[in-house]
Amino acid sequence: MQDGENVIEFDNVKFSYPGADGVFAVNGVNLNVRRGEFLSVIGHNGSGKSTLARLINGLLLADSGKITVLGLDVSEGKNSREIRKKAGIVFQNPDNQMVASIVEDDVAFGPENIGIKREEIGERIDWALKAVGMEEFRHSTPTRLSGGQKQRIAIAGVLAIKPEILVLDESTAMLDPKGRREVIEVVRRLNKEEGMTVILITHFMEEALIADRTVVMNRGEVVLTGTPEEIFESGEILETYNLCLPRITEIINVLNGAGMNIENVLRPEELAKSIAENFRAKNIENAVSEKVAATDVNSPHEWDIKVENLTFTYSKKSPFATKALKGIDLQIDDGEFFGIIGHTGSGKSTLVQHLNALIKLPQAERGYRAKKSKKGKPAPVLPKITIGKFDLANRKTDFKALRASVGMVFQYPEYQLFAETVFADVAFGLKNFKKNVTKEEIEKAVKDSIEIVGLDYAEVRDKSPFDLSGGQKRRVAIAGVIVTKPDVLILDEPAAGLDPLGKKEIMELLHKLHKEWCRTVIIVSHDMDEVAENCTRAAVISNGEAVMCDSPATLFSQEQKLLSLGLDVPLTSKICGELKNYGINVECDCTAEDFADKIIGIYGGGNA
Amino acid sequence: MLKDVTFGQYYPVNSFAHKSDPRIKLLALIAYIVALFLAKNFYGMALCLLVLIISIAASRVPPLRVMRSVKGILILLAFTAVLNLFFHGGEHLLVHWKFIKIYREGIIFTVFLVLRLFFLVMGSALLTLTTTPVELTDGIESLLTPLKWIRFPVHELALIMSIALRFIPTLIDETNRIISAQKARGADFESGNIFKRIKAIIPILIPLLISAFRRAEELGDAMDARCYSGSKNRTKYKKLKLGWRDVIIFFLYAAMVTGVVLFNIYAADICPQIYEFIKVS
Repeated sequence: MQDGENVIEFDNVKFSYPGADGVFAVNGVNLNVRRGEFLSVIGHNGSGKSTLARLINGLLLADSGKITVLGLDVSEGKNSREIRKKAGIVFQNPDNQMVASIVEDDVAFGPENIGIKREEIGERIDWALKAVGMEEFRHSTPTRLSGGQKQRIAIAGVLAIKPEILVLDESTAMLDPKGRREVIEVVRRLNKEEGMTVILITHFMEEALIADRTVVMNRGEVVLTGTPEEIFESGEILETYNLCLPRITEIINVLNGAGMNIENVLRPEELAKSIAENFRAKNIENAVSEKVAATDVNSPHEWDIKVENLTFTYSKKSPFATKALKGIDLQIDDGEFFGIIGHTGSGKSTLVQHLNALIKLPQAERGYRAKKSKKGKPAPVLPKITIGKFDLANRKTDFKALRASVGMVFQYPEYQLFAETVFADVAFGLKNFKKNVTKEEIEKAVKDSIEIVGLDYAEVRDKSPFDLSGGQKRRVAIAGVIVTKPDVLILDEPAAGLDPLGKKEIMELLHKLHKEWCRTVIIVSHDMDEVAENCTRAAVISNGEAVMCDSPATLFSQEQKLLSLGLDVPLTSKICGELKNYGINVECDCTAEDFADKIIGIYGGGNA
Repeated sequence: MLKDVTFGQYYPVNSFAHKSDPRIKLLALIAYIVALFLAKNFYGMALCLLVLIISIAASRVPPLRVMRSVKGILILLAFTAVLNLFFHGGEHLLVHWKFIKIYREGIIFTVFLVLRLFFLVMGSALLTLTTTPVELTDGIESLLTPLKWIRFPVHELALIMSIALRFIPTLIDETNRIISAQKARGADFESGNIFKRIKAIIPILIPLLISAFRRAEELGDAMDARCYSGSKNRTKYKKLKLGWRDVIIFFLYAAMVTGVVLFNIYAADICPQIYEFIKVS
């Protein structure tokens, strides 16, 4: 096996989907991939990067041009089986690529298909599960595993065919940060230790960085190739391709704009070192930034949303009973932009579903009878939730009115669209909640909410929601919730699965809604940077308990505690932590903007 | 909320019955059903009961749990019982009240029939209590293999069954999520007349169908990418293997069928007085 030999060659490849009116999804791509290389492909949604993956192993066939994989021409039908043996693909949704209900059966599927003998299949399963670190789950059911674990099983399923090339088609897009780290770690090891050629298609800029080489796609064309450092140095041009710079590069650009001289590095420790060198050049020693003005955000007063001693158990009285919430206390103020942080399975979704009574408190259930307190034992403390004027523990509360004033946007809300037109879908909630509304009122409310989410009312009104793009669908789904003008808007992972630009736009939309539409916004998120940049306060939910609740600045200064909970800290906290090693103490509110300000403040104060 | 049904009513313990081959268990169930219908008298029925008791003991499933499976057919059972009781003719009239006539033969026949259905359901339940749906699928595929000779798509059928099993929990999760999301938008699934309720299902059904089609498409791609091309040249990793347990089961059930047949022939000669009294006719 020699290095440098091309394993994949694209020669002026064009492809258009049927019915796309001559718009090429892949338009004249020339690309060579060398053996043992780690290549990352980035590009906005619809840039053609997933089409590229499917062209490699002949799931799609090119209209023109030539693709060669390990010397075999993909367009020749007889080669397709051989090519699929050599080039495996892992797809985006871990649930949709598993065929069997037991892990080892699923991993065996590929080897069975290519006619491997039984004994060898057993060995391959051993090896593949070990390679992804999932040996102990051999006899488990995939549905009970986390997203990251499922995706590792999917990788094992491809590995068991013993491919030479591994393609990951946005395989991390639906995972939480922990799952993403697990998958990337596995892929990296396969590349380094097994010498496997890896093509990582992603829209997380931070992931693209670990590759040897990065390819940028825009509208079906390869527009940039180079090492990740070279790519991100190109700066603004990336934005014209609807991509965002990694956060760290954005910070560096601001610092350099203020006269500092910082190399284009990609890791927090490198940036800290570079900042320290800059300071030393100006004889700044033991710098200390201004303190963040201490605001006592938790001082007792009359809160708008109050959760007290909330407990909840799934499948009560069955062998599968699981305690999801173990006594949560939480207060949220009117007008806050509140963050709820936690892993998949931490109980955060169960918590928010209580807030609009999708899960009712036991006292509010029909047929509830208070337990008589036994002698000698104190009466059990009942959970309590109040939201504004609504008491959720009272059976007589108008729960319909509550749901109208506490809007709830679920994860991937676009999957809940159902009506024939955008108008009908958005109007659905309004008609359910308000019985005596006139046509004109409905028309006006729908128009207003479609416009505030940033869509053109006249254009989309009569369109089928299924004909819209992914980002537009999500906006329609949000419009369908805010149409009742709720006071509180809760969103579960509002930016999940979007590309960086889409994410940015959705967060901007939420700020706009917060300002003009709903008084309180609550987002559930596992992206620490998202919380740091946007929220006034945040709570950390872990294992069914609210372990922390504070402003981002205070929250993220407790790095050790967060890491021990298996959570991450935002980039700025990481850099601040690294800077301490150089005797530089920077305190910031964890937004990139404030961090850069503080650094520039110190830098400007020094003498050359 | 809908519940997970992948495990059906599988009762997860480790036992003789759980460890034996699903094919043998399927065949044993067939033999058991045949024996129940072959039996013409209570001696045969008693033999079936004996084998059922042994099987339940070997499965370590609480007997009450097995009996509970009968709940589903109680109404059917009651209906059949009443019909037979009133309309079965005979020689020994016991009750005669207005137009209702109950004969001794009717009572005996009814008891016999009810027992037969009772045992039938309990036996079938025992199979699903001790065998996961996945094992059942494997067993059915293996038993149907001879049908490949007449070009019956055995492998495809088994694959469809196992994929269906695999996706049931996923789709149930999805359904629950969609129900919650539409409830949050004020949808009401619990009140109104039947037409209103059917109409209320549309906002659940359409997203669910669309999602199922999307999943099917992605699964197809993933299977293609993993070199799937039908049953041709395909090997199988999991091979069911017969063990000593299966030999025991085989002999037990074979003995039961033989016993039932023998009772059918010779029952009248064993204690003729008793037989005459409980004769099923």
